[in-house]
Amino acid sequence: MAESRDFYEILGVPRSASQDEIQQAYRKLARTYHPDVNSDPAAEERFKDVSEAYAVLSDPRARRRYDAFGPDFRQVPEDVDPDAFRRSRAGAGAGPGRARGGQAAGFGPGQGDIDLDDLLGGLFGGRTGRGWGPIPGADQEAELELTVEEAYRGGQRTLTLQGPEGLRTFDVKVPAGVTDGQRIRLAGQGGRGSDGAQPGDLYFVVRIAPHPRYRVEGRDIYVDLPLAPWEAALGTSVAVDTPGGEAKVKVPPGTSSGRRLRLRGRGLPHQRGKAGDLFAEAKIMVPEKPSRAERELFEQLAAASTFDPRDPRRRR
Amino acid sequence: MSYALVRPARLDLETFARAAAVHPDLIRRLVALGLVDADRDTAGELWFSPAQLRVVARIQRLRAGFALNYAAIGLVTDLLDRIAVLEAALRNSRQPGGRSWTRTI
Repeated sequence: MAESRDFYEILGVPRSASQDEIQQAYRKLARTYHPDVNSDPAAEERFKDVSEAYAVLSDPRARRRYDAFGPDFRQVPEDVDPDAFRRSRAGAGAGPGRARGGQAAGFGPGQGDIDLDDLLGGLFGGRTGRGWGPIPGADQEAELELTVEEAYRGGQRTLTLQGPEGLRTFDVKVPAGVTDGQRIRLAGQGGRGSDGAQPGDLYFVVRIAPHPRYRVEGRDIYVDLPLAPWEAALGTSVAVDTPGGEAKVKVPPGTSSGRRLRLRGRGLPHQRGKAGDLFAEAKIMVPEKPSRAERELFEQLAAASTFDPRDPRRRR
Repeated sequence: MSYALVRPARLDLETFARAAAVHPDLIRRLVALGLVDADRDTAGELWFSPAQLRVVARIQRLRAGFALNYAAIGLVTDLLDRIAVLEAALRNSRQPGGRSWTRTI
């Protein structure tokens, strides 16, 4: 956690960094982690840390005190001598944790050439004195990866995300039949507002994970249906696994590779509409190493048959 | 499902400004700059959709976070919206074909 991380480390600058370098690092990080640019819930925490670090390091006086007294510098009275402080600290062991983010005030304005906008801008309004009142939080987005089976069945999913106050756990109710890209909204669980303003919403964007057998397009599911040449030629009935359980597919005689056999309504269900279909795609397989008997029978078939799959008139 | 009709479909300037915790003059200015959408009735009064409250909040956050002027905020919000559309399209186009499934056997 960033609880006691060093401000220089947060901005990624050396302790000897100039004001220009600090400003440059801050600007880059602010553009990366601003909640309206980066909807990742973890970005909010980073943005607050970066803003807090910059608020201190961009102010020469606060920076000096931070360098001398460390993270607890705000609790050290103004007139303490840094050397004396260091000596007393060495005897006292580790100090108390510093107050958490958002409480970066405590040093007054008016210290020479600091840009007051920069100093307070990152903290969103609250103390800017520029007429901004409370500002509602931004919406956030996180990915929710589901297997095809989970998307089919729906149900409860527990997720853990990095939030502004550490890890947050969410119980997400996934409706049966969610599709790739669909968003599940958790009202009020997004970015925090400033000064008690409303938080934003958190959206889980569903991503359906690649599956070894199923290919999902919208609500339709495609699955390979391997067939032996004679099964495809003569027709058969085959059991196919679907997310909803096993189903029988009737393969009509004369089925070639690529033919799609539809199992109506066996795709992903739809809360308020028609369920998707499942398509079993015929795929004719031959034995890789045919036995002597198989080979002979194929040779007989080749001799007897007039079938030419490449005959242009046959192509439909 | 049924919803209680508690929220009017549109808000007048005063109500909208209060809900956004912003001075009405600033709202008027944001409308004039084309940053916030509003309907003007025959009397010239502005009417807002509650959805525009999010727009105002985003403008405030961007302004506070980057010290942008309002013209720049218009550009930034337009670009962010366009990126969001493109990202959604990219997400949807990633699925069919590709490596999203492996063939049996």
